[in-house]
Amino acid sequence: MSHFNAVSFVIVIGSFLIVTYIGFASARWRPAEDPMQLNEWGLGGRGFGTFVSWFLLGGDIYTAYTFIAVPALVYVSGAVGFYALSYTIMVFPIVFIFGPRLWSVARARGYVSPGDFVRGRHGSQGLGLAVAVTGILATMPYIALQLVGIEAVLTTMGIGSATGNTFVRDLPLITAFAVVAVYTYLAGLRAPALIAFVKDTLIYVTVIVAIIYIPGKLGGWEHIFSVSTAHLNSVNPATGKPYGSIVVMPAGEWAFATLALGSALALFVYPHAVTGVFAAKRRDVIRRNAAMLPAYSLMLGLIALFGYMARATPAVNAEVHANGGNPQLSVPLLFEHMFPSWFAGIGYSAIIIGALVPAAVMSIAAANLFTRTIYKELIRPNATAAQETRVARLASLLMKVGALGFALALNKTFSINLQLLGGIWILQTFPAVVIGLYTRWFHRIALICGWAVGMAYGTVVAYRTPGGGQAHFGASTVPVLGHVTYTAIIAVALNIAVSALLTVIFRQVGLQDGYDETRRADYTADPVTAPAAPTRTRTPAGPPTRPTAGTDRVPGGPTAPAHTYRAP
Amino acid sequence: MAKHAPAGKSPATWGVVTVLLTVAIMGTLWVPIYARYEPKLGPFPFFYWYQLFWVPVSAVLCWISYLLLRRKPRTRGVVPR
Repeated sequence: MSHFNAVSFVIVIGSFLIVTYIGFASARWRPAEDPMQLNEWGLGGRGFGTFVSWFLLGGDIYTAYTFIAVPALVYVSGAVGFYALSYTIMVFPIVFIFGPRLWSVARARGYVSPGDFVRGRHGSQGLGLAVAVTGILATMPYIALQLVGIEAVLTTMGIGSATGNTFVRDLPLITAFAVVAVYTYLAGLRAPALIAFVKDTLIYVTVIVAIIYIPGKLGGWEHIFSVSTAHLNSVNPATGKPYGSIVVMPAGEWAFATLALGSALALFVYPHAVTGVFAAKRRDVIRRNAAMLPAYSLMLGLIALFGYMARATPAVNAEVHANGGNPQLSVPLLFEHMFPSWFAGIGYSAIIIGALVPAAVMSIAAANLFTRTIYKELIRPNATAAQETRVARLASLLMKVGALGFALALNKTFSINLQLLGGIWILQTFPAVVIGLYTRWFHRIALICGWAVGMAYGTVVAYRTPGGGQAHFGASTVPVLGHVTYTAIIAVALNIAVSALLTVIFRQVGLQDGYDETRRADYTADPVTAPAAPTRTRTPAGPPTRPTAGTDRVPGGPTAPAHTYRAP
Repeated sequence: MAKHAPAGKSPATWGVVTVLLTVAIMGTLWVPIYARYEPKLGPFPFFYWYQLFWVPVSAVLCWISYLLLRRKPRTRGVVPR
């Protein structure tokens, strides 16, 4: 197994300490007039401009697990792993189309999560609850997978694998996570927003150096591709078929396309992505970022190619084999064998810190969902803003503890299966959230029924799909009408069909629909926080300079939000 | 989409934006375009360099769409840039 390297270890500890300092210091970054507003803790005061949003969104949606799992898939199966590149290319035009409307209505009505938007738009607590529960269920295993990403690095570094004692073995992981939990509790979204600067810098440096330095050491790209092609064409003894292909085969095109599209649509409705969008200061910030965030997709494409580099490194293949054939070790092992130990330390830090940013944002997003849609709606309707913020902080801690429990107590495969399910589940909120941005044609109860059908179908089908040596949750694609299709796409199609059919029936019967508290102008609203940048200056006397969006939520009220509008 | 358009943008502008974004999405959604080995760019099969190339293309398409849809500030000085 890998040997402990003091230089790498010191670099990793050093970066972790720097990030920890930034995390705690971020509580004092752009101080709020009233820090006990939920949109201060949970959305960084909705004050992030283009620059900060670029780092935050990039650091948030390109997770450490992606950096581990995508090249691992390429390492084993080749071209199919590049669906991730295709999907991250597609996601930004999608954000461009839907993002500004969702941002505007959230800003105008003070929504902090997709759950409270759905409740307000469709006038349905039940539908809001469905969206919130789905979001929390899908986010928990996603956080756990960030820990799986950290674990892959720690294993490679030779930390924690020497002893059989579970607690001692997992101590580094528990410590790291506890520290993140504390500063997220204190600083809210400001912490991951600042740490994202470090994460993204480390990732860019690592990827650029790797892509220039490693191929030369391995004998060039020609060699890398030929070794990989030879592996992919060889027959997998477990299935009797080749491992994969260097280019997607005609039979695999439909699966590739639906996986990419389904993942792109799902990403947009994942709570952590929505949180990043809501934190933007102006409507324009989202469209600009849709044009600028693809820089990260380029990184992801290059990282995916790491899978082939790892395949062309015999020492990596040997160690992956020695570790029970766990391909998730391929990228950390590639760093270990290709880089001098100090730069390997930089690469490890990039992945570890890369895990902390999304983990923090995800727990905040889930906490916002819980607070607004479950606590405030069902438990304490009269909660004050300060109570909301306290509950959200605690909820974020609970999410982290839960995810840690997931990662430590349960089999790693279980987390991965659940994350696969999470992608299917979260897409079932698409009709209520995204279609809801454009039309209220769908009946609220029909949407709940459609959601339930999509969830049930997706779960059952995923459970019954064998593959990869597992009897259940073996693959995320199933053959439908002769085409191998991403399960989430079929489930959401069923969801929409059921919603539409029941809407027609309910309208015939005359079943009462919910009250829409939003107004048409909300969807194109662009409140101006005049004069510019009030967040940096604190006026000791006088009224708050920044509108606190959390306070202007008037359920059912026709009152116009108390902002100045640039264009009504 | 045009009927939800914010004030001041003509249906023609929305039409152009719709086309640009559709092209950006279809460029990688329509897999048969790039699921091929040739022509290679140096050692890179078409499948790989096309996708990497499409990243900046989609970014430029989004940026043009942004410029087309940008609202001109009504009051000077209120909106930065």
